[in-house]
Amino acid sequence: MEIEYVGKEKEAVVAAVKGRVDAVTAPEFEKQFSRWIKEGNTCFLVGFEQLDYISSAGLRSILVIAKKLKGQSGRIVLYGLKDVVREVFKISGFDTIIPICGSFEEALEQFQASPPGA
Amino acid sequence: MAKLFHRGLTFRFVFWILVGVASVFSAVLGYNGYYSRKLIIKEIERDAFDRAVSAANHLDMFLKSVEKISENVSYYLETGSYDAEGISKLIRTVVEKNDEIYGAAVAFEPYAFLPDERFFAPYFCKKDGKVQFREIPYDYFESDWYRIPKSTNAPAWIEPYFGQAGAIIMSTYSVPLYRRENRERRFVGEVVVDISLSRLQKKIASIKMGDSGYGILISRKGTFVSHPDERFIMKETLFSMAQAAKNPSLVEIGRKMLEGSPGSAQFYDDFTGKKSEIVYVPLSTSGWILGVVFPKKELMADLERLHRRMIAIALAGFMMVMGIIIWIAHSVTRPLRILTQASQDIASGNLDVAFPSISAKDEVGKLASSFAYMQASLKHHIRELTETTAAKERIESEIKIARDIQMGILPKVFPPFPGRSEFDLFATLVPARDVGGDLYDFFFVDDNHLCITIGDVSGKGIPASLFMVITSTLIKIRASGEMHPELVLNRVNQDLAKDNPSLMFVTLFLAILDVRTGELQYCNGGHNPPLLIRSDGHMFPLDAPPAVALGVVEDHAYQSKKIFLKDGDALLLYTDGVTEAMNVHHELFSEKRLKKAVHAMRGAPVKTIVEGLLHRIDTFSKGAPQTDDIAIMLLRYFSKTPRE
Repeated sequence: MEIEYVGKEKEAVVAAVKGRVDAVTAPEFEKQFSRWIKEGNTCFLVGFEQLDYISSAGLRSILVIAKKLKGQSGRIVLYGLKDVVREVFKISGFDTIIPICGSFEEALEQFQASPPGA
Repeated sequence: MAKLFHRGLTFRFVFWILVGVASVFSAVLGYNGYYSRKLIIKEIERDAFDRAVSAANHLDMFLKSVEKISENVSYYLETGSYDAEGISKLIRTVVEKNDEIYGAAVAFEPYAFLPDERFFAPYFCKKDGKVQFREIPYDYFESDWYRIPKSTNAPAWIEPYFGQAGAIIMSTYSVPLYRRENRERRFVGEVVVDISLSRLQKKIASIKMGDSGYGILISRKGTFVSHPDERFIMKETLFSMAQAAKNPSLVEIGRKMLEGSPGSAQFYDDFTGKKSEIVYVPLSTSGWILGVVFPKKELMADLERLHRRMIAIALAGFMMVMGIIIWIAHSVTRPLRILTQASQDIASGNLDVAFPSISAKDEVGKLASSFAYMQASLKHHIRELTETTAAKERIESEIKIARDIQMGILPKVFPPFPGRSEFDLFATLVPARDVGGDLYDFFFVDDNHLCITIGDVSGKGIPASLFMVITSTLIKIRASGEMHPELVLNRVNQDLAKDNPSLMFVTLFLAILDVRTGELQYCNGGHNPPLLIRSDGHMFPLDAPPAVALGVVEDHAYQSKKIFLKDGDALLLYTDGVTEAMNVHHELFSEKRLKKAVHAMRGAPVKTIVEGLLHRIDTFSKGAPQTDDIAIMLLRYFSKTPRE
């Protein structure tokens, strides 16, 4: 797994995740976002275009991050999920609690439409 | 190995030093041998030459005295007047008074002494101790002894010859005789003196050189006058001998010898059968050649004996040096051997072997202390490793116990309800190496309602297994006597989510089957939808409203759906360990392969289908490790009252 810092867009950190988020890589995934949150970032637009697989451990990590952000009126938005990954979110029902968009533009639009803390 | 190493080191050490010592010894011995040989040869040659010259001088002195007598007689006759009687008296006196003279004569030219006598040559010689007069009985003018001095007009020594009927070897010295007439010297004859060469032979025979060295005397024509082998004397020449010996180099040597100057030569001596050297000197009087022959080797015997002794001493010295070096090498490598033995013991696992104390401050001593340090660190590391391994083993054993507990709460007896003919059911769970969190369960909530459930806890390890046990227990409690799956999920979800700091969750499918009617109420909390397999082969995943996994959203309201199972219909419940089983090419087993496999086996008994599925998954993911638990449950419904 690799997490790439893409840049900042209207207060939000834009990052891209590649490879697999499973029981082995999930702690690293969680740690990277914790670092960003500790630096004062509360909003994240995360691209999953190149994410091949996510396990339940990965879902739990996203849940942990989302919960942390909720306490700081922050938000995490995922976009560009591959079908297999999207299916995991759909089956587990996580797509009902984590915002998921088709593309970066869509994610940005949604982010602007309902800014954090609103 | 250690022995070989030691032997190798000692061997190399000893070998090269000995090679060096041997080279030095041989160089010294070789030089000494070469140089002393050269010196000795020079010495021997000088000695031989001295002997030859001394003998030659002796002979020359003797011959000179004979020459003197002859010349005196000639001078006396030339200056005085004489008659026949006077000449006879003179000659007689000469023979009588000189031991070395065997005979003497005055031979005149034809008619030179008496006008009517063609021959006049009074001759006196010794016989039986008395001097006798004899006439020279033949026409002597053409004899060598007369002809040569006359033709050269000078005195001459004649080639030696046998005299006295072969009894002795003689030579003759002839001096021309003149008469003064009208202030001119006219040749009138010769004074002739015969001598026996036995005295010369004796002198030559007295020459000794080593054991078999000897002297020879050779005439100007190369004839042997004196030789230790009497058969040679007067019979062989240098050249006839060379021919007999088929040795052309002797011819060359002979020619050189006869050239009239002193010299030396090497040759193979047939007489002694040895390689020899000859040193030769010409006599200044007669021109004969005196030679001293000696086998060089014989004279060098002493030297060679000395040389052999030196080699023996060198060999003894060499052996001694070898002994000392072997001893030194042995004692130098001794600590190494001890170290080798000790390190071998350590290598074989005996870390407590007492390390030998090597007090030397040299490289070996340093090596020994490094070894001791290594032993201590090894001990330390191994203790640490042992502790770590023990801790790891404890954890692993605890994990195993956790897995056993987890597996223990799963029902594993099939068929589960032997009295029930309304359905067949089989389930299995194949745990991954790490403890996973899959679960399944089935139980009657009342006489006619069977509850079946399958779930998957997020993550792995002890936390997952703990969470799975909690979930299983909660389901058992909350489903008891309950007919509505959504209520069971709502309650279990609330229980799990209420106090869940680690944010773990479980995907859960739960259904309640009325075995009398085939009515199936089901509720899905984020789990893979089960596959409904109709008896006609038609199959599809059970549709359910989207719902989040349990333990995440506390107040989530789950919703149930209802479907009727017909006779022979089956329901396949599974976890994502099935569809996400991966092969070495990172391909997933997938829902497509699952459906295909189930379709192929659809008529078979439930146990056969489940085991067949496991076998296919196993074949598919051959070589790739199983990363997740695999749980499968298959229920087949048999209707008692067939419906329309």
